Amino acid sequence: MLACALVGYPLLIAPATSVLTLGVVALALCGLGFLLGPPVVVGGAVVALGEYALALWLAGSPPRLAGAVLFGVGVTLLLQTADFGWRARRAALGPGVVASQIRHWARFGVVAGATTLAAVGAASAASASVRLPWAPALATVGAAVALVAVAFAVRRPAR
Amino acid sequence: MTTRLTPLALSITTVGAWGLVLAVFSGRAELVVVVVPVLLALLVTARAPATPDWSIAHAISSARVFEGERVMVTVTVVAGEPVALLELFEPLPSGLRVVSGHNRGLFTLARGQRVEWKYEVECVRRGRVSLGTMHARCWDRAGLHAGETAMRAPWQLRVYPSVLPLRRLPGPRRTQSSVGNYVAPAVGEGIEPGDIRAFVPGDRIRHVNWRASLRFRRLFVTQYHLERNADVILMLDTLAEAGAAPDTTVDASIRAAAALATAYLARKDRVGLIEYCGPFRWVRPDSGRAHHERLLEALLRADVMFSYVTQEVALVPRRVLPPQALVIAISPLLDARFEKAVVDLAARGFDVAVLSPSPIPLVQRARRASTSVDLACRLWTLERNARAEALRRLGIAIVEWDPAEPLQAALVGLTGARRRRAAAR
Repeated sequence: MLACALVGYPLLIAPATSVLTLGVVALALCGLGFLLGPPVVVGGAVVALGEYALALWLAGSPPRLAGAVLFGVGVTLLLQTADFGWRARRAALGPGVVASQIRHWARFGVVAGATTLAAVGAASAASASVRLPWAPALATVGAAVALVAVAFAVRRPAR
Repeated sequence: MTTRLTPLALSITTVGAWGLVLAVFSGRAELVVVVVPVLLALLVTARAPATPDWSIAHAISSARVFEGERVMVTVTVVAGEPVALLELFEPLPSGLRVVSGHNRGLFTLARGQRVEWKYEVECVRRGRVSLGTMHARCWDRAGLHAGETAMRAPWQLRVYPSVLPLRRLPGPRRTQSSVGNYVAPAVGEGIEPGDIRAFVPGDRIRHVNWRASLRFRRLFVTQYHLERNADVILMLDTLAEAGAAPDTTVDASIRAAAALATAYLARKDRVGLIEYCGPFRWVRPDSGRAHHERLLEALLRADVMFSYVTQEVALVPRRVLPPQALVIAISPLLDARFEKAVVDLAARGFDVAVLSPSPIPLVQRARRASTSVDLACRLWTLERNARAEALRRLGIAIVEWDPAEPLQAALVGLTGARRRRAAAR
């Protein structure tokens, strides 16, 4: 359901054949991911993000930030639920495991959505007064995120 | 406990970085906004995971079972501190198979909570199973961080070979001195009538044969055959095996040995066991329930082992291999050393019978059917027939047993072969 919503939202922004094609590929990858494992779902999420970017680029409409917040929360929850679903396969589930996970995801969705909206509000207010070269700033942030991710990936496990 | 980031953290990082790249190239602010919740999820990993405090205990429904029986394993998890998500996994050896439930579980535990987790295993192969290493993984709720450890909660399970039902057994040629179920040639106290002789003072009146006495007009008494037990030695070949577990020739031999031991002990015979695995390992002949347990324990240990030692059968002491004993050799006849031992025993005057679990159907079942396998099996059959015939020429009764067939059918064949051989003498 989450995958369908993520794939369907870009079609509402720009109902084009190219967007639909990418959406079908993303949906297929997400569907396969539930059978083959979370890495395929990650592939699906990456394609869905590409589909969203393409839809935004084709539409050329004013920014839809509320939808973007929901899309971001949806992508994160898709990855987390797929991973949990894979772990819970062929395992005995103790009492309250699924309920507590659902509570956690709901809490995360609300907190992440609210925080992002607050950040967006703050950024809008700041952009009205300060003019920044956004593209280089974002590239710097992206590079920093990539470096942190690599550092996390190669760090030695703590014992 | 070893803690690490999970692959999910790397996946979320990848998706976030990809979103930023798309944002830069498309120049759309929405894509930056999309990445913010993803980055917030990653921030969770920066939190130090809480030190887990929990313990496990094992309980099994039965510590001693026979092959094919089921055992319920109950794992109790008690948490000292809250545990967000605890994954437990208990790897099982090949001799055990999960039939209901799972040997992996996921639990959420509150402080002081106690959770029971049950699964049922089927014991498919005999042996002593030592288990209890539980692999545990403590996840955070988001699944981005995991701590791994292994805990010991040892439990042991003894899986005895299944005992096949037997009604008729090969009888011994010679009996021993204790009371049993076989009719001995000697006369004395018994219920099987033997000879008739003239009455002498001291004979019991109830032994008087009135029909003969009236006919000859003097008193005659009926003599009865003694009923005695026998010594039966089961000689097990564990020098080599063929087939795939749990249906190897050694497994079939051990099942046959367990069935024979149980059936002979039920007849009050003394049963001994000699395992030939290069060196000899033995259990002295005895009778009774305690001895039955002793034999099953010895069969539990029996397995193929590599050894440079090859002992001669003459080294086996007389108390282990009594001269009057019936020796039932259980062997797939894969190793010439066992054949030599059997021939040595026959040459020394032992009453020897060979029950040979055929390795050919076991190997055929374990391999994919093909013309080459079929041809090889046919050649193998010819070779085995020639070897069996050579043993028959030496006066040794031998019968081949397909382990898929009932053991009783093979034993009937063995009894017939022994009868024919005795008649030929």
